[in-house]
Amino acid sequence: MRALCWHDRLDVRVETVPEPKLINPRDAIVRVTSSAICGSDLHLYGGFVPGMVKGDILGHEFMGEVVELGAGVQNLRVGDRVVVPFPIACGNCFFCRRGLFSLCENSNPNAGMAEKLWGYSPCGIYGYSHLLGGYAGGQAEYVRVPYADVGPLIVPKDLPDEQALFLSDILPTGYMAAENCAIERGDTIAVWGCGPVGLLAIACAQLLGAERVIAIDRFPERLRLAGLKLGAETIDYTEANVLEALKELTGGRGPDACIDAVGMEAHAYHSIAHAYDRVKQAMMLETDRPVALREAIMACRNGGTISVAGVYGGWIDKFPAGALMNRSLTIRTGQTHVHRYLRPLLERITSGEVDPSFVITHRLSLDEAPGAYRMFRDKQDECIKVVLTP
Amino acid sequence: MPRNLNLTRADRIGYVVGGIALIVWALRRPSWSRSLAAGVGSWFLYQAYTGTNPMFKPLGIRVNREPARPELAETLVVEEAITISRPRAEVYAYFARPEHLPALADADIDVARNVADEELAWRGFRGERLAHFGSLTFRDAPGGRGTIVAAHLEYAPSGGSLGAALARVMGRAPQRLMGDGLRRARAILETGEAPSTRGQPSGRR
Repeated sequence: MRALCWHDRLDVRVETVPEPKLINPRDAIVRVTSSAICGSDLHLYGGFVPGMVKGDILGHEFMGEVVELGAGVQNLRVGDRVVVPFPIACGNCFFCRRGLFSLCENSNPNAGMAEKLWGYSPCGIYGYSHLLGGYAGGQAEYVRVPYADVGPLIVPKDLPDEQALFLSDILPTGYMAAENCAIERGDTIAVWGCGPVGLLAIACAQLLGAERVIAIDRFPERLRLAGLKLGAETIDYTEANVLEALKELTGGRGPDACIDAVGMEAHAYHSIAHAYDRVKQAMMLETDRPVALREAIMACRNGGTISVAGVYGGWIDKFPAGALMNRSLTIRTGQTHVHRYLRPLLERITSGEVDPSFVITHRLSLDEAPGAYRMFRDKQDECIKVVLTP
Repeated sequence: MPRNLNLTRADRIGYVVGGIALIVWALRRPSWSRSLAAGVGSWFLYQAYTGTNPMFKPLGIRVNREPARPELAETLVVEEAITISRPRAEVYAYFARPEHLPALADADIDVARNVADEELAWRGFRGERLAHFGSLTFRDAPGGRGTIVAAHLEYAPSGGSLGAALARVMGRAPQRLMGDGLRRARAILETGEAPSTRGQPSGRR
């Protein structure tokens, strides 16, 4: 089959590889009908995530048709159309039973590696480094889905791929980012980053009753979607001082909650801070550039919440611990517990409350994926979200 | 003797030999750069004297000078614990099969003590020689959260604690094998299968 393989920093290739086989009784094999490139795939592409091995198949946002089932899977049939959550979760362990699926204790066969880096291990994730299990991903024609009796959600026949695909990651991720803000009547939410997750976080914050949403980015096409399509107020951080602008827009108090939908490769405009973090990251003195996170903490109102949806991998410095402590701030974060949002969000999609497909800018074939990674990384052609079909 | 002694006898002999060699080498043709070697040599001698390498504590290297089994003069100690969301009797029954014990590889296992639902202890032999010994104790986790399995293992280190430290850095230490073994057991008991990617496709040639 054809699959997108990681070879090195900025080097991904579509290659012919063997088709996946069932390994465990609870596995399924899915013929992929659509997959997407995630912003977090760019961290792999850029070589910022440790534990990648030449030849790893990428992709954790995918859906398709069940073609083979292990003996332990009773709830699916061959031919079912399913969307698959990106966290691999067993459904049986302490964390799964509490709905914390992305913390599944049993799905990462390389948990010992992750424990060294992070203290304890989260769940395994498709195509997201050997630290998180080294599972082959879904930017391919076929993919093996472990614990298929727990993860995949059957999609109604009349719902097109483009509306269902993002249940795999970015819609639940945007939703959890907004849910973590514990939105109350009259609240203003500020969102750093208007990529797909940021845009969906804006939509979900509005769904959960936010009075106002303020979106922060620098790319005109993204700010346009946030402003014109979603009705958010926008700040272009290359033109305004974000902290001052937010203060002014919120009556001198700051946003009630701040969402970091940027993560470890943040940019800061013409600032010493960006150069400082870029140099430290290049010298491996810090692994992540936490510009958005620092700013979100500084901007948040006293007693407010910072919801972190952007991906971080290692260590940061110049962390504003004083602001966090003295101003009674709360940080909520985590890889998304996708499984628990699947059904409620599918209902919101079928009822027409949300249609996440508005983020799609490019529809390409799997063979065009290497070029798509480059285009997405360099933000060429106003690229926001790429959907691939094999 | 300091309480946190973590060098074995073999390590200390190695440190003395290495330390003296460095100092002698430096003294034969003294120079500024060689004085650095003499400094390192003195540091080796100091570590041999105190019996402690300060880097071993963060690496989790623990030496037992007086192990419970006198056949092993000195042992390295590994302790790991895991909570498994299954009843105690079921967890015990799984580990009661000798092939499921998180023992070290290449050893013949002799189960030395077996108290149902409470404890399993074993010895691992290489030929006639005792190579390691270990035990698992089982207790209920609080709040009905299943069973806590506490593992204790002591082994004769080949290469002393320095070798053990190296193995730990390389990710091949008994600590890691023990942790992996316990996690695998938890996965099988809780989910019916062990997570694996063996045989999956990739673009590696």
